[in-house]
Amino acid sequence: MSSAVESFETLRRRTLRRQRLRALAGLLIFSAILLVSFQRSQFFSSDIGGDPLGRVADFLARMIPDLKADALTADSRTKGSLAWWFYDLPVWLKLGWQTVEMAIVATVLGAIGGLVAAFLCARNLMPFPAVRFVVRRTLEAIRTLPDLILALILVAAFGVGPLAGVITLAISTLGSLGKLFSEINEEVDPHQLEAMAAAGVGPLSRIRYGVIPQVLPNYASYVLIRLEGNLAGAAALGIVGAGGIGLELQRAITYTEFDTYLAILLLIVCMIFVIDLSSEAIRHRLIGLDGAK
Amino acid sequence: MRDEAYQRALAAAPGALRPRGRLVQGGLIAAGLAAFVAMCVDLQLAPDALFAGLDKLAKFAEGAFPPSDGGDLLRIVKALAETFAMAFAGTVLAALAALPLGVLGAKTVVGQPVLHFAFRRALDWFRGVPALVWALILVSAFGLGPFGGVIALALADIPSLAKLFSEAIENGDDRPIDGVRSAGVSPLMELRYGLAPQVTPVMASQCLFFLESNFRNAAVLGIVGAGGIGFELEERIRIFAFDEVVFIVGLYMLCVAALDTVSQRLRASLA
Repeated sequence: MSSAVESFETLRRRTLRRQRLRALAGLLIFSAILLVSFQRSQFFSSDIGGDPLGRVADFLARMIPDLKADALTADSRTKGSLAWWFYDLPVWLKLGWQTVEMAIVATVLGAIGGLVAAFLCARNLMPFPAVRFVVRRTLEAIRTLPDLILALILVAAFGVGPLAGVITLAISTLGSLGKLFSEINEEVDPHQLEAMAAAGVGPLSRIRYGVIPQVLPNYASYVLIRLEGNLAGAAALGIVGAGGIGLELQRAITYTEFDTYLAILLLIVCMIFVIDLSSEAIRHRLIGLDGAK
Repeated sequence: MRDEAYQRALAAAPGALRPRGRLVQGGLIAAGLAAFVAMCVDLQLAPDALFAGLDKLAKFAEGAFPPSDGGDLLRIVKALAETFAMAFAGTVLAALAALPLGVLGAKTVVGQPVLHFAFRRALDWFRGVPALVWALILVSAFGLGPFGGVIALALADIPSLAKLFSEAIENGDDRPIDGVRSAGVSPLMELRYGLAPQVTPVMASQCLFFLESNFRNAAVLGIVGAGGIGFELEERIRIFAFDEVVFIVGLYMLCVAALDTVSQRLRASLA
C-alpha cells in the first residue's frame, strides 16, 4: 500500500520535474532568440532621435487634416474644406479603379493558370508522377517568393505601369490557387469518374462533366477570397511602380503630404471594404449560406 | 426521333436541360469576357509591351547564371538574420499587444452586443492596412532602419491576432472553468487553470503561423527602407546585378522553407 503511494509519488515528481525542465528549456531558447532578435533589429539601440512616442504623436497629428467646420463643404480652393483635403479626388478615383481592374484581370489570369496547374498536379487526375512533382515544386517556389520582390524585378523588365503589377499578381495567384484547386480536385467523388470511364468517355470530357460540376462552387469561393487579397496587393504594388493607387501613396509620403496620405489611405480601406462585402455576399450565395444568415 | 426524346426528357425534368438558362448563361459569359477585354485595354496590356518585357527578362536570366554572392556572403547572411529578427520581434510584440485586445473582443468577456460589434468592426478596419503601409509611415517617422519595420509588422498583426485570440477564447469550453470554480479558487486561478490550458496551444500555434508570414513580409519591408534582406535585394535589382539577386532569393527561399518546416513541427506538437 505504502509502496504504491511511494511509487506514484516518485513518478509524479519525475514527470513534474521533466515538464518543468522542458518548460524552462523552452523559455530559455525563446528568450535567447527574443534577445538576439531585439538586438539584431536594433530595437533598443537604434537612434530614432529621442522621444519616439512624441514623434509618432507628432506624425499622427500631421496626418489629421486641418479641417474647419465652417468651410467644410466649400470648394477645393478654400483651405479647411473636405474638397481641399481630397484635392485630387478624380485622379485618385481613376487610379483606384485602375487598381481594381488590375486585381480583377490578375485574378482571372491567375485562376486560369491555377486551373491548368491544378489538373496537372492532382493525384487522381494526372497519371504521370513526374509532371505532378515538377508542377507541385514550381507552385511551392512561387508561393515562397514575396510579391513585392517579384514586382521589383518585373518593373525592371516591363517598365513602370500596370502591366508589371498584373503579371506579378497573376503569378502569385497562380501559385496559391493552383495548390488550393488541386486539393479540391483530390477530394472529388470518384464514382462519377469511374462511371464515365466505364462508359468510354475521354479524359477531357471526364474532367468537364465529372469534375467541374463538383468543384466549381468551391473554386469560385477561393477565387473571390483571392480577389480580395489581390486588391490589397495591387494597392501595395503601386509603391514600387507597378501601377495603381499605390503610386500616389508613395508620392504623398515623399512630398511629406501626410494629410493627403491619410486621405488616400482612407480611400483604399473603403475600396477594400466594399469589395470584401460584395465578394462575401457572392460567396455566401454560392455555398448556399443564404438561409443560414 | 431525337426531338421526341428531347421533349420527353424536358417534360420529365425541366430543370436539367433548361434551354433558357443556357441562353442567360451564354450572355453572362459573353458580358464577362467583354468586360475583361475592356479592362485589359484600359490597363494598356498590349502584346508588344509584353514581348518587349519578356525579351528583357530573358536577358536578365542570361546575366543571372551562374549565381554569385557578390563576394560578401557575410553581409547577406547578416541581412537575412536581421529580417528574421524583425519578424520575430514584431510577432512577439504583436502577440503581447493582441492578448488584452483579444480578451476584450471575446463575446464571453464583453457580452454587451453593441460594444462587441463596434470593437470587432474597428479591428476589421485596421486589418485593412497592410504592413507595408505602416512601414511607409513609420520609416518616415523614425528614419531608415529595422526599428520601423518591427513596429510596422506588429501593428499589421495586432488586429488579426486579436480577432483570432478572441475567437479562441470564445471557443473555450465552459466546463473545465466551472470545475475549477467549484473547487473554490479565486477568479485569477480560474483563468490560469480553467481557461489558459485550453487557449494557449491554439494561440501559440497562431503566433507561429504569423511568424512564418511575417518572415515573408519582413523581406518586403526593406524595399521601403526598413532594413533587412529586402533592402539588399532592391539595391541589386536597381543595378541589374541579377546573378546576386538569384543567389539572395534562392538563399531566402531556403530559409523560408526551413522556418516553415520548424514551425510546422512545433505546431503539430502543440496540437
